[in-house]
Amino acid sequence: MAFKTFVIDRHRHLKWTALDPLENILMVFCGISIGGFTFSVFLDVVTRELGAAILWLQLATTGFFAWGVFIGMAAATRRIDHLNLVEITKGMSGSKRTFMEVFNRAVILAVGLAMVAFGIQNFMNDLGSFRAPSLIPLATYTASVPIAGALIVLFCVEQLINGWNHGFEGPEDQDNFAGIVQ
Amino acid sequence: MSNGSILLLMTALFLIFGYMGVPVAFALMAGVLAACALTPISMQSMIGQMFHGIDSEILLAVPFFLLVGELMTSANVTNRMIRLAQTMVGHMRGGLAQVVTLFSMFFAGVSGSSTADVAVLSRTVAPEMTREGYDRAFTAALIACASTMANLIPPSIMAVVYGATGNVSIGGLFLAGIVPGILVGIGLMIYSHFFGPVGIKKPRASLCEFADAARASALPLMIPVIIMGGILTGWFTPTEAGMVASVYILVVLVPLLSRSHIPNLPRDFVYTGLLYSIPLALVAAASAFGWMLAYLRGPDIVSGWIEIIAGHDGRIIMLLLVLLFIVIGDFMDAVPAIIIFMPIVIKLNELGNIKPLHMGVVLITTLVFGLITPPYGLSLLVASKFVGVAFSKAMFASLPIYIVFFVAIAFTVLFPDVVLYLPKLLLPESIGCFKSPSGTGYICPP
Repeated sequence: MAFKTFVIDRHRHLKWTALDPLENILMVFCGISIGGFTFSVFLDVVTRELGAAILWLQLATTGFFAWGVFIGMAAATRRIDHLNLVEITKGMSGSKRTFMEVFNRAVILAVGLAMVAFGIQNFMNDLGSFRAPSLIPLATYTASVPIAGALIVLFCVEQLINGWNHGFEGPEDQDNFAGIVQ
Repeated sequence: MSNGSILLLMTALFLIFGYMGVPVAFALMAGVLAACALTPISMQSMIGQMFHGIDSEILLAVPFFLLVGELMTSANVTNRMIRLAQTMVGHMRGGLAQVVTLFSMFFAGVSGSSTADVAVLSRTVAPEMTREGYDRAFTAALIACASTMANLIPPSIMAVVYGATGNVSIGGLFLAGIVPGILVGIGLMIYSHFFGPVGIKKPRASLCEFADAARASALPLMIPVIIMGGILTGWFTPTEAGMVASVYILVVLVPLLSRSHIPNLPRDFVYTGLLYSIPLALVAAASAFGWMLAYLRGPDIVSGWIEIIAGHDGRIIMLLLVLLFIVIGDFMDAVPAIIIFMPIVIKLNELGNIKPLHMGVVLITTLVFGLITPPYGLSLLVASKFVGVAFSKAMFASLPIYIVFFVAIAFTVLFPDVVLYLPKLLLPESIGCFKSPSGTGYICPP
């Protein structure tokens, strides 16, 4: 199916197919973000060299960048692409494995919930702060944090329910290293 | 609870969660949020700090240098550079091992990512090395060790992060990284020549073959010239130089050298978009952790301990920091390590009257060593996976090569005049020099 283009099949047993389009959208958003700030930095340099600098381009650049980081953080949570110090759970099985996987996701869930709750408070405060020169509300940037938090919570719950029902063990356990991205 | 106890608790929670398998960014934030509960600092401000940690234009250089590496790799432009390396050193004893090191030096000048370097070499040269009878463990170890140069020879992602958080000239860090980068490269070539497998002896490439390979690689090898030329002439910031290099690949290299790759470009952008968010999520979490560390007076506590041992002797302070960062680099990624420990480093720079640029290059050289040391040697992990050998075997094969890194670190500490020669010559302001009031030349601190 077309929407599966950028959806990774690793850890399929921990995913709901219903959320695949969302992963795909987030991945496309990551591409748009890096493409967007590449283009805006390019325009910034060109217009500056032409002596007609457009100041709001820098705001667009940082906007694409910040949104890209936090949306990518959420996408990486679903794809289990985040950097780990160790992957000790891969060598485990049974109830020990379930306990560790649930515990780890509980920590991620707590951080995700904090990003939602306190991110919304920051967003509300930032509605009254503006960025010069085009006076864009700072909230348009900081909204990325609670949204990423909500997505992280959603993907965490998805993995917890599927892992609880089907077990956390999967063919990926044979990997020495969870390949980032591909 | 005292500040020291909260500090210990925060650090212990991060390490416990991290070593239980929680992703690093979340383990860091969990430690910070737990510390918030015990201090008057609001959790809201710490979540805000995550955003402010990445709200920096300088950090934009990170995705650009990753994009350059991804585009060069996926468009197969790197094959030309491998061929050039083969014509230069392929005839030597252990020819393919020499090719790995020389190519890594070329690639380091193009991309700031060690992982990209490992990916390229593992897909291209590693299978050929296996066919020629090289031990897979040696191949993985050598590729991992050579890939560390990507973070020494400019452009370097570690240098960008260090410069952005420590307020140190990124151009200066780029230039200062050249000497340790080349030292590591030469060290690996010497090691491969005398102690590595012999490989299959090949005839020396003719001048025509070398000229052909050089001509074919000329366009890709313009990238380091664009990046460093733009920064040194003051035309571009490091971020803009990364963008110009990316646009150069998109507009010149891909259409001229790999036209068939054009339909795949959107895919490259999508994956690089995800790839850059992973280390920068670490930056966001680590900056909150670093903020809390500074609030709890962690820099004062650690610098107090170091002052007891080293007094105000800059060289001993640097030596102790090197030892500390060797241990840190074994257990965590370089990017959060730089951000978390930066307040301590700044404090110790003042204490020992150490040039921030010198300290920066010493610590980056130390942290790249962490890419190949267990348990968290990211380059070695990736290389062992791609080459198809157990991590433990690759680790044992890399043990003798550690000596190359010890020599490079010691040289960087002991010979600041050599290491800082290029920054002093080309970017004097980066080491604290200022223009002479007479208008001619610079006045530099001793």
